[in-house]
Amino acid sequence: MKKFLTTGATAVALVTAGAAHAEFPMDDNITFVIPYSPGGGFDTIVRQFAPAMERAMGTTVVPENISGAGGARGGQSVHRADPDGYTIGVYNIPGLTVNEVLGKDQGFKLDEVTWLANLAVATYALAVAADSGINSVEDLCALDQPAKMSDTGATSTAAVTTRITFGILGCDIVDVTGYAGSNDAMIAVISGEVNATIKPITSLAKYLDGDGGTGDMKLILTLTTEEAVPGVPTATDIGHPELAKFTLNRVIGGPPGMPAEVVSALEEGLRAASEDPEVTAWAEGAGVELEFVNAADTTALMNNLSSFYQQYKDLAAVAE
Amino acid sequence: MGLDALLDAFLSVLNGGSLTFLMAGVLLGLTFGVIPGLGGTTALALLIPVTYTLDPLSAMYLAGGVMGATSFGGSISAILLNTPGTAPNAATCFDGYPLARQGKAGMAIGASATASALGGLIGLFTLLLFIPVAREVVLSFGSSEFFLLTVLGLAAIAVSIKGKLLRGLIAACIGLLLAFTGANQFTGETRFTGGINYLWEGIPLVPALTGLFAISQMIELALKGGSVADDATVKEAKNMRIKGVSEGVFAVFKHWPVLLRGSLIGTVIGAIPGLGGTVASFLSYSSTAQTAKDRDTFGKGNIKGVIAPEAANNAKDGGSLIPTVAFGIPGSAETAVFLGILVLHGIEPGPQILLQNEREVYGLIVALTVSAIAASVLGLIFARLLVLITRIDVNIVVPVVVTLSLTGVYVLEGRMADVAVATIIGIFGYLMIRFDYPRLTLVIAFVLGEIAERSYHQVRLISDGNVIEYMLGRPISVILIIATIVTFFLPAMRKLPWRRMVGRAI
Repeated sequence: MKKFLTTGATAVALVTAGAAHAEFPMDDNITFVIPYSPGGGFDTIVRQFAPAMERAMGTTVVPENISGAGGARGGQSVHRADPDGYTIGVYNIPGLTVNEVLGKDQGFKLDEVTWLANLAVATYALAVAADSGINSVEDLCALDQPAKMSDTGATSTAAVTTRITFGILGCDIVDVTGYAGSNDAMIAVISGEVNATIKPITSLAKYLDGDGGTGDMKLILTLTTEEAVPGVPTATDIGHPELAKFTLNRVIGGPPGMPAEVVSALEEGLRAASEDPEVTAWAEGAGVELEFVNAADTTALMNNLSSFYQQYKDLAAVAE
Repeated sequence: MGLDALLDAFLSVLNGGSLTFLMAGVLLGLTFGVIPGLGGTTALALLIPVTYTLDPLSAMYLAGGVMGATSFGGSISAILLNTPGTAPNAATCFDGYPLARQGKAGMAIGASATASALGGLIGLFTLLLFIPVAREVVLSFGSSEFFLLTVLGLAAIAVSIKGKLLRGLIAACIGLLLAFTGANQFTGETRFTGGINYLWEGIPLVPALTGLFAISQMIELALKGGSVADDATVKEAKNMRIKGVSEGVFAVFKHWPVLLRGSLIGTVIGAIPGLGGTVASFLSYSSTAQTAKDRDTFGKGNIKGVIAPEAANNAKDGGSLIPTVAFGIPGSAETAVFLGILVLHGIEPGPQILLQNEREVYGLIVALTVSAIAASVLGLIFARLLVLITRIDVNIVVPVVVTLSLTGVYVLEGRMADVAVATIIGIFGYLMIRFDYPRLTLVIAFVLGEIAERSYHQVRLISDGNVIEYMLGRPISVILIIATIVTFFLPAMRKLPWRRMVGRAI
């Protein structure tokens, strides 16, 4: 009797599982986990992509905000979900990568995540006040006192980028952390509290000269290999192309062990959404750099990123 | 500048659909305001997904309606149940609740409604005046001024506790301990988290305040039984409640300096990102209580103790738009959500926000103005009805309030741990009431502690260790230092023989 029951249960499980695969994504809503509160960058991109994914995949996509622990809590809840494709999430990358390299227990391992796609990328630049008289990285490193930089939290991606960058350049700095947001950190440069800051180019644009910017700040370096802003030297120009590895990504993943056909269906849905006219029009207006990367390449990118930060582990750690 | 746009916005709000969104926002704001634990930020956060399908301007009307109405809504529960509906209303409890117990709840609500509406108007008027110099205002407040403002806030509280100095300081130390929980912004290390990663980002404000004020007060009421208003006063108050409301309205005009000071404090504090309504209303309350001639009656049902925080609380909304129009950065949690709504609609808020998104910004200003007035008018109409809450048996009030406020705490982030925090702090808060420790100093230290620590470390790094020298070189910092010293010595100066002279000078 017991055996019969077990067999029966297994059969039912097999049938439902089989049906789920055949039907994906038709028999349930897809929950799209956002590891931060509504209104931020992670929330916005997901809420823009969700309707476009619905159009592409013919199912309902429900964004769900699960905030806390620097994005780790959202990642944990995706990690615990069934790997049936009905729960996916956007990850705080490279924030989670850096924390993992520094040995912080985040409740799950990034290399167990089933990576699906990369949707957008932001590149960094080094900015100073327009009227500061600092015109190059050499100027900044040759000040009487170590140059002062501004950042939000000490473990924020921009702060880690700042410490590693200047560590590689062999230039002494004081990173003044604790600003409430990246805008506050940039205003500290404008008001002269600090000398410079490293922030995504798209965030800095509003304080630069031209194209609706105020002209309060100027760029002295972009962390790119190719010229990103006319007339501004790149990481390659100053002989450190490895600095171009610092980017801010919007990476999508799911629970460990997702079946290949579900991965490719989601990958395809996300790709179609990234080409949706409404999404591209929004990205244009909001200054978001869309850059779709497929599942295989995203997995490679994540491993690559992990070893990159592993290499600079000592510089990434906060000096006492 | 901008007057045409402002007129346009006023005219367009009168056209059909916009008014519907605005009034929907007002009703929602009032409701969320009245319920302890649910506040403006919660309402707006829940609305974000809804606004996705609206055009940006309608979204602004809805958001403005909510923002303008929550703080008055919150004062109703503060007055009637000694339970602030939103965190900034905590200061309204001190005199609002004693008034309710004396059967003068109508008067308190009337004063709160009028002070809220007028405070909101003054705040927005100040905002319009400030728009041309908004940039300079924001740039002149650096880490040094942030730090000194928190010191001023802490000092004001320290001297406002009468006769319970030691207990007040103990409570403040506990507040600081709670504030320092979580990741250190300078080393990235976590403190006092006990290995629980929920605490990495510190103890969340809304659950903590809900516990400290709403839950603890409900425990107190449940154990005491009866109803909020004394039986004796209920009988006496029959006449009082009829004329009470208009008496409250007139009290605001009679005490116009209190209204004006509260509004100005609200606007200035609102303009400084990160300080917010709670600090504004506490500073307004304590400065009024300290400088008043009849300061001994504060805490026992002085109507000025209702006017001051409520004026500041609504004026802060106008002030919090100053950094928004200057740099596109939020001045409060509510404006942060407002900017989030713009991003959702493909608008990148930046320093040019006033030029590029004039319609949306002025739409929000108009919505705030109309909302503050509409909420108060609604409040005045229903005040007599609302007062009846104080006569309801607490066995009915308590379960309703506890359920609603804990649900609100859960809804904000969807974390059960937030509910646990509210409950634990609620029990702790009840013990504080029971053993007569002031909860006020705990709250202020909790709210200000983190900003004080953060900005102090920033000043230390920026000034290369010469903190005092650096501060003395900045005019606004010097003013704040003087204000702090005066605050400290005010009670002492009053005791001196020449106190009348000093009294007049201040």
